[in-house]
Amino acid sequence: MDTRKNERLIAAGIDTASALERMMGNEMLLERFLKRFLDDPNFETLKRAIAENDQDAALTASHTLKGLCGNLSMTVLFDLFTRQVAAFRAGDWAGAAAMMEDISAAYDQVTAAVREVFAQ
Amino acid sequence: MAPVNLYPDLASNVPTTLLVVDDDEINRLILGNIFASQYTIQEASNGREGLEKILAGPERLCAVLLDVMMPEMDGIQVLRHLKEADVLRRLPVFLITAEASGSVMKEAYELGVMDVISKPVIPYVVQRRVQSVIELYQARRRLSHVVEIQQSELLEKAQKIVELNMGMIEALSAAIEFRNGESGEHVHRIHDITEFLLTNTPLGEGLTPDEIGQISLAAIMHDVGKIAIPDAILNKPGKLTPEEFEIMKTHTIQGAHLLEKIPQLRESGSYHYACDIARHHHERWDGRGYPDGLKGDEISIWAQVVSLADVYDALSCKRVYKDAFPRQKVLDMIREGQCGAFNPQLLECFFSVEERLHRLYEPK
Repeated sequence: MDTRKNERLIAAGIDTASALERMMGNEMLLERFLKRFLDDPNFETLKRAIAENDQDAALTASHTLKGLCGNLSMTVLFDLFTRQVAAFRAGDWAGAAAMMEDISAAYDQVTAAVREVFAQ
Repeated sequence: MAPVNLYPDLASNVPTTLLVVDDDEINRLILGNIFASQYTIQEASNGREGLEKILAGPERLCAVLLDVMMPEMDGIQVLRHLKEADVLRRLPVFLITAEASGSVMKEAYELGVMDVISKPVIPYVVQRRVQSVIELYQARRRLSHVVEIQQSELLEKAQKIVELNMGMIEALSAAIEFRNGESGEHVHRIHDITEFLLTNTPLGEGLTPDEIGQISLAAIMHDVGKIAIPDAILNKPGKLTPEEFEIMKTHTIQGAHLLEKIPQLRESGSYHYACDIARHHHERWDGRGYPDGLKGDEISIWAQVVSLADVYDALSCKRVYKDAFPRQKVLDMIREGQCGAFNPQLLECFFSVEERLHRLYEPK
């Protein structure tokens, strides 16, 4: 991956070195997963579940996103989803829902960078 | 016998398939990618599918990487089923989880999980932890296989030693028989007759097959004391003088003494039978035998059996001092007590199976 693209992804909150290590250095695999992240329905599911007060669906979506972001070393998002899952589990529905603002901002940053770098 | 291959293709007995159970495709691909160069990767996308794949053939798998939160059946439920099926002792299962909460981890370890690895995984960590356990299990499997092979080799060797012992005892006894012009067949037949009577008649009641084997081996040595008898007496064609007969009679005591001097024999189960038989195979039921003049039940049943077997064989074959007698004459002489006084029950048992014993003397 060229340096400029790499820096763009890092700036958006993706630890590319750690992500690549997880893919055993396979850049193709990382690119495939990052592109797939753009199409992943769980973020929309999470927003809708929170709007509809569906706690089970919200937890499931948040948990899945946490795993996804962890695997792709999206450190900022991973940290946010980790806290959100913990809040859901602790029964702090309001606190978990209130995190959506930060989460959306971080999500937009990451997806914008991925779209830009892989020209989608 | 074909040479034994010490360690026949052990490698083929060691499984190299790794099963990844996770509902998330990316997780499966990441884990599969980490291990693809060393193992064949199999995948399952939920707990139920994973359990079915494991139970269909746990011996094909070298390890299982198991997610916890999954639809259909979660990882802990899978572990419970595996524990119930007693699979976890032979197959290492690793829990790969983002939520390594205290209670989940505790239950997983209690159920017998090998290790808990947290997600997102760090390749070199998961690789090292999984691989060392797989290697340990593989080494254990190879070792148990080697131990099995060595065990059967040891058994085979022990059997050969038993056969060799038997062969040496037979050879020694036959060598002594050769001195008075008899073939080694005599001791062989004494062995067979003794074994046959103890196995197929009530005479052997209370004796185990092992003990009968030891007695039959001891029977072979009944005349070893003859090695101490001078040729002139042992091979005299005519009747012995009273003095010569006194010397001849000592072969019983000499035999028992000789056997007592073989330390290795003392450790054998045959030892006490051998000494007893060597000393007492010329005793008589009426107490008029030698060397101790034992009477009736004072003579052990094995000494009685060998005594009768010896007489029967001597009468049925040619000896330096006599020709072989016809079968009917042999039976008459034994029945009329011309060759010693025997226990009536012993004679009854003997006559009841003599038909089959006689086959030992039919030309082959």
